[in-house]
Amino acid sequence: MRRYLRAAIVVLLGCAMLPISASADSPYEGYIYDSLRNTPQSINGYLYQDSIDGYDLETGPFVEPSDIFVAEDDTFYIADTGNNRIVRMDGDRNVISVVAPEEGEGKLSSPKGVYVTEEGELYVADTGNQRIARFDSYGRYVGQYSKPDSPLLETGFTFSPSKVVFDKRGYLFAVSEGAHQGLVQLRPDGSFAGFFGANHVEFSWTRLLVRYIATKEQRDQLASVRPPEFSNLFLDREGFIYTTTFGIRANQIKRLSAVGVDILNLNESRRYGDYRMPVERWSSLFEAFVDVSVDANGVITAIDQTTGKAFQYDQLGNLLFVFGGLGNQNGLFMTPSAIDSMSDGTMLVVDKTRGRIDRFRTTPFADKVHEAVKLYVEGKYEEASVPWHEVLRMNSNYDLAYKSIGKALYRAERYEEAMTYFKAAKDRAGFSEAYLEYRKIFLRKHFDVIFGGIALLYALFKAYRYRRSRRRRAGGAAAGGGWKRGGANL
Amino acid sequence: MKPLRMARDVMLHPLEFFYDIQFVGRSKVVAAIALVLLTVAVRVLSLTITGFSYQTREPYQISVVLQAVWIIVPWLTWAVANWGVSTIVDGEGKFVDVLSGSAFAFIPYVVFMLPIAVLTNVLSLSESMIVSGLTAAVYLWVVMLVLMKVKVVHDFELGKVVWISLLTIAGMFVVWFIGLLVFGLVNQAFSFVIGLYKELSFRW
Repeated sequence: MRRYLRAAIVVLLGCAMLPISASADSPYEGYIYDSLRNTPQSINGYLYQDSIDGYDLETGPFVEPSDIFVAEDDTFYIADTGNNRIVRMDGDRNVISVVAPEEGEGKLSSPKGVYVTEEGELYVADTGNQRIARFDSYGRYVGQYSKPDSPLLETGFTFSPSKVVFDKRGYLFAVSEGAHQGLVQLRPDGSFAGFFGANHVEFSWTRLLVRYIATKEQRDQLASVRPPEFSNLFLDREGFIYTTTFGIRANQIKRLSAVGVDILNLNESRRYGDYRMPVERWSSLFEAFVDVSVDANGVITAIDQTTGKAFQYDQLGNLLFVFGGLGNQNGLFMTPSAIDSMSDGTMLVVDKTRGRIDRFRTTPFADKVHEAVKLYVEGKYEEASVPWHEVLRMNSNYDLAYKSIGKALYRAERYEEAMTYFKAAKDRAGFSEAYLEYRKIFLRKHFDVIFGGIALLYALFKAYRYRRSRRRRAGGAAAGGGWKRGGANL
Repeated sequence: MKPLRMARDVMLHPLEFFYDIQFVGRSKVVAAIALVLLTVAVRVLSLTITGFSYQTREPYQISVVLQAVWIIVPWLTWAVANWGVSTIVDGEGKFVDVLSGSAFAFIPYVVFMLPIAVLTNVLSLSESMIVSGLTAAVYLWVVMLVLMKVKVVHDFELGKVVWISLLTIAGMFVVWFIGLLVFGLVNQAFSFVIGLYKELSFRW
């Protein structure tokens, strides 16, 4: 018995001396998509830092917050929908001010969106009051934009703005819930300037077939097909409006030019989010991108409510990082509703159900990737190669790094090395271009040998033909007959 | 018949060749099976040596079994369906002739696919027109040979050839459908017997 006890103590002590694994494991695993749509593991770009739920603030907890706006000075405004107010905070968890007029015209009702100009003027999508309310930098109510009066609007049109931005010309762009015609664009005086950047109904064979077969009565009973509606919008520094759209599988994120044309997915239809969505009732669910945010370098981050994941893309639409997910742990979300980034790269994600703002810090890996992407997007491929090589040292599955190093080598006219890197990135187009140049140089260099070889082969072939025909002629004459097919066998 | 001469005859004088195989007929089934296996080998090899610019799949995605099935099954079902259909409408061909005739139609594929695959190693994507054009030509050639085979072996005129070929394709789908059905039913029967056995062995 005592021997067992002693053994047990030794074992216990031994266990105590073993290193204990760190408890800061992230509840999600980083991954990336390669060209075959496999998901090799990647190093996490963002890790959970902390949350702000408002319980320790004098303003009390948030109730169903649904939007966040980070201003130039890194203070952020939260549309605290359930409390009918806008809360302004700074990065040290201090409340700076609250916009919540108790009465009068400025009283808010379920504000779902907030936008702040450089001068500090507030535009609030006051969804419950069907208007956009405007406050000055001291939080005093200044005015409002209500439903515009225009013959262009259908009679049944309801103006229920949920998100809003205000561009440099003084035009307002708003997502109006249920408006499938596009973003509502208002002039500075509040008049209607038209719908902006409308989505289109995609062609469908099923629909064509149904229209062809169905009788008129049946057709009338079918729900009319409407273009998918926008869920959110974001105005970047250069004045481009980014949008997210519900209910489509491709081009869910768009960058709209001044005339409302999508310039992010110009040449190819691109799918954002996960390729393999969770399946329910035999059909895979649609991704629901509810918010998009673009930082100073043009890095796009969008959050998908269906998977609860945030997806980050570079300016050209290449996937960089995936983080988050659905769940109860810190770092996962119940219902993510908004996302925005601070100037140091910290991401703020608003969780509507839990009523809190989760903050994610970048990892050193993400900093490296961002550094490289910034140079790469600017076209400085050679300079970008340095951080890209470090990225590859940390994560050799990062195809984008191979691709951009390949481009740098291509530009430096080192085509053979470029081919190796394009091959590693599985970039067939890039490889082919590098190969074309390589082949040109190869042919030029060995022109004499190749040309000489071809000439020699041709001469040999000719000589062979000549000799064969002469021998045959001679043999045929000797046998006293033609040399035609099968003649010898007969 | 020597293999090389046979290949030359099929490609240069297909009508005469298909006419001849009905009467000369020496070990042509063996030759046909060898040809189909050769086709499978050429298919797999050409997929493997295709240049990186033109390679749309990873080496691990190339399955010999799958490629073999995709060649052998259509070949067999085509022969069965074509023989069946043409027998009903007074075709003269015997099943053996149909079976081997269809196999000989693969000869252009066997001869030209490997050079094309080699070519993809030398060409870049901007010259993909050449590769796709050559490939399309080879496939077209194979289809033409199959049609000629139908014409010669059964002694049909042209309009009937097209009509019979369409019927044959429909027949192939019927064969596949029945095959899947039988497979499903046999599967069910097996799982029933296995389930019965399990049930009984749990009881006693």
